[in-house]
Amino acid sequence: MSVLKTAPGPARRAWRSPAVRMSALAALAALVACADLFAGRGVTGEGVRAVLLGTGDPLAEHIVLQLRLPRLLVALVAGASLGVAGLVLQSALRNPLAGPEVTGVTPGAVLGAVAATGLGLAGWDSPTAVVVAACLGGFAGAGLLWLLAGREKGDPEQTAVYGVLVSAVLAGLTAVVLLVAPGELGSVVQWLIGSTEGRVWQHWHLLWPWAAVWGAAAWLLAAPLTLLRCGDEQASAAGLDPGRGRAAALVCAVALTAGAVSAVGALGFVGLLVPHLALAVFGADLRIALPGAALLGAVVVCGADAAAQLLSRLLVVALDADRLTLPVGALTTFVGAGLLLVVARRRTDER
Amino acid sequence: MARTRAVTADGKSGMTEAPDGMDPVAGPPDVVRAEGLGFGYPGREVLRGIDLSIGAGELVALIGLNGCGKSTFLKLAAGLLTPSAGRVLLEGDDAARLPRRAAARRVALLHQSAPAVPALTVRQLVRQGRYATRGPLGMLRDGDDEVTARALADVGVTGWADRPVDALSGGERQRVRLAMALAQDAPVLFLDEPTTYLDLRHQLEVLQTVVRLRAERRLTVVMVLHDLNHAARFADRIVALREGRVAADGPPGEVVTERLLAEVLGVRGRVGADAVGGWPVCYPDHPLDPLQLLRNENHIH
Repeated sequence: MSVLKTAPGPARRAWRSPAVRMSALAALAALVACADLFAGRGVTGEGVRAVLLGTGDPLAEHIVLQLRLPRLLVALVAGASLGVAGLVLQSALRNPLAGPEVTGVTPGAVLGAVAATGLGLAGWDSPTAVVVAACLGGFAGAGLLWLLAGREKGDPEQTAVYGVLVSAVLAGLTAVVLLVAPGELGSVVQWLIGSTEGRVWQHWHLLWPWAAVWGAAAWLLAAPLTLLRCGDEQASAAGLDPGRGRAAALVCAVALTAGAVSAVGALGFVGLLVPHLALAVFGADLRIALPGAALLGAVVVCGADAAAQLLSRLLVVALDADRLTLPVGALTTFVGAGLLLVVARRRTDER
Repeated sequence: MARTRAVTADGKSGMTEAPDGMDPVAGPPDVVRAEGLGFGYPGREVLRGIDLSIGAGELVALIGLNGCGKSTFLKLAAGLLTPSAGRVLLEGDDAARLPRRAAARRVALLHQSAPAVPALTVRQLVRQGRYATRGPLGMLRDGDDEVTARALADVGVTGWADRPVDALSGGERQRVRLAMALAQDAPVLFLDEPTTYLDLRHQLEVLQTVVRLRAERRLTVVMVLHDLNHAARFADRIVALREGRVAADGPPGEVVTERLLAEVLGVRGRVGADAVGGWPVCYPDHPLDPLQLLRNENHIH
């Protein structure tokens, strides 16, 4: 980036145009998606190519078209949802360290999904019930934050404290549910960490309309969100009712997060860090930065999924294990924690 | 945009009060009119029974000690707070009942300070002033940006339109925020301590810009100032608040006296006249001790 910024000439000017950046990012997304399609076990690269050309054997065809493709699409859309939700939350709460994970939204959605599974109301095989439960949980978590923050919702520090508090309580409740009704512990743990394993077309059919509707709603809020970033005083002086604007933004963020969580579980740090990347790449014009965050989120989650599968294969060889799967959530958390450190350091340097 | 906001364009006639605005033919109604305005938080009364009319085209300076209710008055008059008693009329309508966007089309309020907004450029910030007119969906389109461009040009910041606001100095940032308020294209401009945190040079720069814009755009301006000398020099009417009441109201030549210094600002000092311009100049000497202040209070009540 710094090289590009200092390099003179037409290339640099072209790079400044958001359209060029967006196209480059879309190309990257396509590249990552291909990588994800080829990354898994069971079918070799040639096998995938054969299926795509229509000459694969039935087993390979099933794996690629019924397992890998929906998983890839779910990863893309879930990542996009989380990226947009994060940017909406950070703008509405005016807190660069806000994210679905630390505002009670993700923990609430996880609690909803885990509780529904534990009570036998929903399961891995009934995605609709899980989506509903995750949404209810996400809204409950955000509602709890809303109530606790009271009149101080425009104060980033206060909401951050309450958000961490709410998240901790909800995570504790999730642990209680797990202890009381362990159920299918294996699949529940995947929820907690975040995983794209076993996502099928049914998940995709549920996820994409939901994400499209709420993503569009979030984009329509670009102007109020930009004003909210300027602080409640300036926003209301400019003609926005900050309370209403923030409520609308939170509803969008919660819906997007809940959809993503119900599809891939609590992927760590995506919603927290993608907004920073989006603002750095596309600037503060949210009309551009919001779609940018969607693309970046898709690239990050899909890329992490591909990387996690490749790493799993390497680990199987290295450890001589029989079967080993690295969940994508573990990877995003590791990489995200490092990036968060960079962001936090940069912020303290600026002060 | 041509508005029905005529008269007093000579900039000096603001002292003559409009005759109540009852008769629509006789003269312009007051742009801002407070009637028995009171406001308080539980346990603390901030404003009590303020009656004040501000006519079109006036440049009014609000002065008073910290916590005397100056900023609260501006927020009430801009419709950002709901009064606990009385009301404020904004071009004839109750400010507290106007929808937020409608109020912002009538009054632009520049707050004392604003938080830093990462990555936002000058043009993007100033453009936010268009929200009141264009609304959430209208802001999604480009267009009608000549208002923004004019606001940028009017405060002389066109040159750094694409720089991030965070990278500007305090004085530059204040001018940019003034441009954002101008982009609201409202006939009334409220400024809450526009010169705080600025060095002397930038203080003068901002105040002169305000005076010039007021003449060019025929604005009605109400600004909270801490520096009585600035108020005496740049405003054509000074309203002094004390403990939530109007303690003095009139042209600087009449209002700025040693008594005002003592009773409103709590300092003993002398008042002279500027050798060149003739406006009053004050020389504060000592802060009055609390006992004396208390005596003054008794004297006033």
